[in-house]
Amino acid sequence: MKQAGTSNGAGGKPEDKLVFAAKDLVVEYRTRRGPVQAVRGVTFDVHRGEAIALIGESGSGKSTLGLALLRLLTKSGVVREGSVVYYGRDGFEVDVLALGKEELRHFRWQECAMVFQSALNALNPVLRVWDQLYDTVRAHRPGAHRSDVRAQAVKLLQLVQLDPERVLLAYPHELSGGMRQRVSIAMSLLLDPQLIILDEPTTALDILTQRTIIDVLLNLRRELGFAMIFISHDLTIAAELADRVATMYAGRIVEFGDVRDIFYNPKHPYTVGLLEAVPPISGDLVALKSIPGNPPNLLALPDGCKFHPRCPYATAACSQEDPPLRPVGNGHSAACIHTDQVQLHRETVEVAP
Amino acid sequence: MATTSVTLSPARAVRQFSPVALLKRIASNYIVRRVFKAAFTIFFVITLTFFLIRLLPGNPVEVYINTQMGQYGIPYQDAAAQAAALFSIDPNEPLYHQYYGYLSKLVRGNLGKSLISVGTPVSNIILQYLPWTLFSVGLSLLISFTLGIVLGMIIAYRRETPLDHALSTIGSLLHSIPNYLLAIIIVVFFGVRLGWLPITRMRGSFSPGVTPAISLHFFGDALYHAALPMAAYVLTTIGSWMLIMKSSTLAALDEDYVTVARARGLKDSRIITAYVGRNAVLPLFTQLAVAIGFVAGGSLLVEPIFQYQGIGLVLRNAVNQRDYPVMQGIFLVLTFSVIVANLAADLLYGRLDPRIRVGNTKE
Amino acid sequence: MAQLVTAQSEVAGPNMLRRVGGGSVNFLRLMFHNKAGFIGFVVLVFIVLVAFLGPLFVPEDRNAHVNQIYQQPSAAHWLGTDYAGRDVLAQIVRGGRSILVVGLLAAGLTTIIAVVFGALSAYTGGWIDSIITGLADIVLTIPQLPLLAVLAAFISFKSAWQLAFIIAALGWPTLLRAIRAQVLSLREREYVEAAQALDLGTTHILFREILPNMLSYIAINFTIGMTGAIYAQIGLYFLGLAPLAGDNWGIMINIAYTRGAMFFKNSFWYIMAPVLAISILQLAIITMTRSLEDIFNPRLRQGE
Repeated sequence: MKQAGTSNGAGGKPEDKLVFAAKDLVVEYRTRRGPVQAVRGVTFDVHRGEAIALIGESGSGKSTLGLALLRLLTKSGVVREGSVVYYGRDGFEVDVLALGKEELRHFRWQECAMVFQSALNALNPVLRVWDQLYDTVRAHRPGAHRSDVRAQAVKLLQLVQLDPERVLLAYPHELSGGMRQRVSIAMSLLLDPQLIILDEPTTALDILTQRTIIDVLLNLRRELGFAMIFISHDLTIAAELADRVATMYAGRIVEFGDVRDIFYNPKHPYTVGLLEAVPPISGDLVALKSIPGNPPNLLALPDGCKFHPRCPYATAACSQEDPPLRPVGNGHSAACIHTDQVQLHRETVEVAP
Repeated sequence: MATTSVTLSPARAVRQFSPVALLKRIASNYIVRRVFKAAFTIFFVITLTFFLIRLLPGNPVEVYINTQMGQYGIPYQDAAAQAAALFSIDPNEPLYHQYYGYLSKLVRGNLGKSLISVGTPVSNIILQYLPWTLFSVGLSLLISFTLGIVLGMIIAYRRETPLDHALSTIGSLLHSIPNYLLAIIIVVFFGVRLGWLPITRMRGSFSPGVTPAISLHFFGDALYHAALPMAAYVLTTIGSWMLIMKSSTLAALDEDYVTVARARGLKDSRIITAYVGRNAVLPLFTQLAVAIGFVAGGSLLVEPIFQYQGIGLVLRNAVNQRDYPVMQGIFLVLTFSVIVANLAADLLYGRLDPRIRVGNTKE
Repeated sequence: MAQLVTAQSEVAGPNMLRRVGGGSVNFLRLMFHNKAGFIGFVVLVFIVLVAFLGPLFVPEDRNAHVNQIYQQPSAAHWLGTDYAGRDVLAQIVRGGRSILVVGLLAAGLTTIIAVVFGALSAYTGGWIDSIITGLADIVLTIPQLPLLAVLAAFISFKSAWQLAFIIAALGWPTLLRAIRAQVLSLREREYVEAAQALDLGTTHILFREILPNMLSYIAINFTIGMTGAIYAQIGLYFLGLAPLAGDNWGIMINIAYTRGAMFFKNSFWYIMAPVLAISILQLAIITMTRSLEDIFNPRLRQGE
């Protein structure tokens, strides 16, 4: 088993070319009690072949962010401010938020695909796996030959270690949760996108299956070299999969940096809290409760730094100012006024084998 | 590479090749179960009618024999023989023989003879009138179901718009009115008061002078005469289909696989039909059994109001005149039609939802 | 307002009676906020009051008045007169009571059968469940009205009780299936599992944990059962298979229909009055039920 943060699946340094850049993104939900900002000014970018992990508790806005990047928010959700730019393979730039209906439809999945949390419910229960894979290709390449699609599907299913003969003709309910999630992953790769967003892809699964999925993902990245935005509440998984890690709190990125810096030298008390909570590999949220207090209530956020009511380093100044992300060296930044004091008390995080 | 845990799904794990397992598989097969259930229901209804006719105190066979003896001085043997011909039941035989004889005559299509139009076999009456009821009721169910589905989906997609409010209100308004009362309202209001509908000309099952044939002209004429009963059936049922479809569409729209389908860049038309529609329509099938029986049963009251020459009208007359053989014959055939229609709906449901096809004990 | 109920239905305490008690206050307030439902409720109350108290104020009009046959509505006769010149309004006012009584009786019987056997079926499972649901499926498939008609031709229904009983005997399957499904889902809830873990016994679990939680659901099914009972009942009167004696909307329709009142312009009000009375009653009950469903089902309510 790899030691946390020592090496990453893709290996090597991310290429310099960007595939994706989100800037000052604000996402708002309309509710009965007025508008609520679930994402409050998020900026990050993804390079070619790079894996970014977005880590946070539920309510941190990470899943909303994932949906917003593909413009999949429900009717009540709106991107209020900011920009999302996608850089295509041949250098063209796409303003994702300005895409028309048909352009957006083609952007989705061909350029940027997504794997969802709900492994059990991501596939249409009344259609065979093959039909759903074929549907996906046909939506983008109407002239695609059945046999070509089939060959591609077989190849991908083998890559995710499934028996294509069996799986292609199966209905979703005939597959286990882990198999379904691997089908979802294979499906995300069907059109060879540059970027894949994975929203808690292992959460609904048991530990052994989680392990398999992570191995499959590591393998696929080595093989196909796509970029990844990995959304999770589980730092240990991020340690294995990500090149860079962003921790999110109350709709904002509070710390962003190389995976090693985040793990060995965290500069935001929230990240420290997450690390000290030693998430068990089961990814159970209960363990995160060892950060005192509750996840933030987006309807009534505190003044100043949103984390200060739960923060051991909090001072009077913390309730006055909501600090922006500030560089703390080596491409590492944190949104805290006490970065010089913040320290991880445990040297390494034990990642259970 | 780490070894993967390839778990077999329950449905496939059962596949063992022993005779017992095979029998269990057959018994748990959805289609087999449904066919068996339909057959058993038919058997149940036949038995019920037999007991009504033969065993209840004051049952029609005894009443008939007593009247014949008392009024016309016919000897018991002769009266019993007449009763045997009329009811397909011979009162002189032991009960189980009577039952067996009744069953075997039914199987051969012998439903006895009418008491009122003396000597006419009930099966002839049924053959003459049933097609019209099957036509009008069947077509109404089809129209109401499909139109309800389409409208339900439309108002689910346009929820909280004036269209939604208007259709939902009209739907539940019409749904509240019993179909036979709506029939009366149609006649009284649109036929007599406003004079918009030529209700007298629309009576019967086709116009005089038109000969039944497989032609567009005849179909149009039949439709013209069936239009009013059909309007009563469709208008009173469409509202509930629409509202059920609306809520199940809203539920389906919340499902993850719909979001995923959008993320996959599928065309809206494909998502609406294969992802939302096909899943949303499934809950409606559990209501279909009730609806088929309800509309078919309603023909008993609706057809007489429009004087539509279907089996419901004949049944009503038979009930009024206490023509027991005709009553039981029509009741049996009507129930049989409903059971067959239900079986067809069940089989269609099985085709639409793969989850119930094999060995799933949860229904 | 809505949050209150959502919060309530998520509460998983061991004794749910408290919740139901607290719920009744909210229920009225919610009912008031759902306009259509509230109107339905008010109309229903009005019909019940008229049907039970109206006869005290509106005089009976039994004698024929040959000089005023089929009169149009006037100050003297608000709904006109019938084929014998009698006041239609008087008949409408007096004709609702027996319909309501039989409807309530039948719905009550149906609900009792459905709750007892539905809960039994869901809770015991196994062959008892198979038999009960199998029987329900069979009865459900048989077209109700023709069976009622055939039965009525053999047995004559004399009293309200008999009528209610025969309607309930055929009307229970839909409700039973609904109740059974509800019990099945409640059985999986935490507080029921807790009670099972504490070994509180089947009776305790059924009557203390499950049934109190279903009261709202049972109430909805009761009203649905009532509309079904009214439909069947009027159908029987219309067919002439229930005793044609006394004042009753069903009998009014039967007589008006047999007298050909559908086809005379003058008898418009005579036939329309009972038709509309029944339709409005059904509409009131169904509208009220719909909003009850909205109130009790948080998922549907989110659409508002």
